[in-house]
Amino acid sequence: MKLLTCPLNGQRNISEFTYGGEYHPMPDPNSTDSRQWAEHVFFHDNAAGVVTEWWCHTASSFWFLAERNTITDQVIRTFEASEIFNQRIDFAENQQ
Amino acid sequence: MTELTPDQTARRSPLYRRHQALNAQFEMVGDALLVSRYGNTSMEPRLAISLGLADLSTLPRTGFKGPEAPHWAASQAVQLPEQPNTAVTQADGSLVAKLSHQELLIVSDVEADSSLITRLNQQDLPAQTYSLPRADSHCWLAVTGLLAPEMFSKICGVDLRTHKFAQGQIAQTSVAKINTVIVRHDLGTTPCFYVFSDVASTEFLWDCLLDAMEEHQGVTIGVAAIRSLAAVE
Repeated sequence: MKLLTCPLNGQRNISEFTYGGEYHPMPDPNSTDSRQWAEHVFFHDNAAGVVTEWWCHTASSFWFLAERNTITDQVIRTFEASEIFNQRIDFAENQQ
Repeated sequence: MTELTPDQTARRSPLYRRHQALNAQFEMVGDALLVSRYGNTSMEPRLAISLGLADLSTLPRTGFKGPEAPHWAASQAVQLPEQPNTAVTQADGSLVAKLSHQELLIVSDVEADSSLITRLNQQDLPAQTYSLPRADSHCWLAVTGLLAPEMFSKICGVDLRTHKFAQGQIAQTSVAKINTVIVRHDLGTTPCFYVFSDVASTEFLWDCLLDAMEEHQGVTIGVAAIRSLAAVE
């Protein structure tokens, strides 16, 4: 059984986790065209090397981030999402 | 005295058919109908020291979530655990479990004496504090006894041996493939693990636990046995 370390719950069997896709910084929604926004939402880089990914500890519904080398499948570190999302994002009202 | 049956109360456990099939005798604990004992055995308290399984699902419990939830609870004279995944027993016997930095689970004592849950549920909540009712969303089982960690080792990946998993510690993990919250909350000198899981899976989890307990001669126990375990200092 592979093991993954949840920042909240500690080391657990990989069967307790769900993969949530690659993490990409969100582009500014006010200055992004539809193409760029679609790429952000739907497209993945699928890069060979170290990538940052969303993972969820299913038993506690706790979402966090992991840096993983996709060539060796080695997880370099896992960390709480609050490390990146440390301030509230307010979306401007749609003016159209 | 007329015998109590689950259909006499507005609220009943999802396991009441299982209890009736096991010849359970029921009693009222506060507003909750609980199994008092099963069959006619007077051995339950003694067997529960080794391995027992009880259903506490009808007892009160609640929860709160949000960035401000811990601050708000503290302002309501709730004693909070310092770290996530730990629980603290309150002065009135209720138990406050911190499931993450922003989430609290609050459960009654087994005599339903505590008024904390009713009091908190009646409050107006401030911004960024959200009610997370747990009474109908989760079942509440209790596994008692010295053999409980060994039994759990067959169906749960977390090491629950008492020297590894301290009193008040919480594991949010998978038990028999069901997502559960396990809280160690000893009864007197007997190890006890509260198990909370999605209410829709209650009967499955109950059967899995009984199956895993069989080789250790585990038994179903009522609240009378829990009371007698808790009385041992």
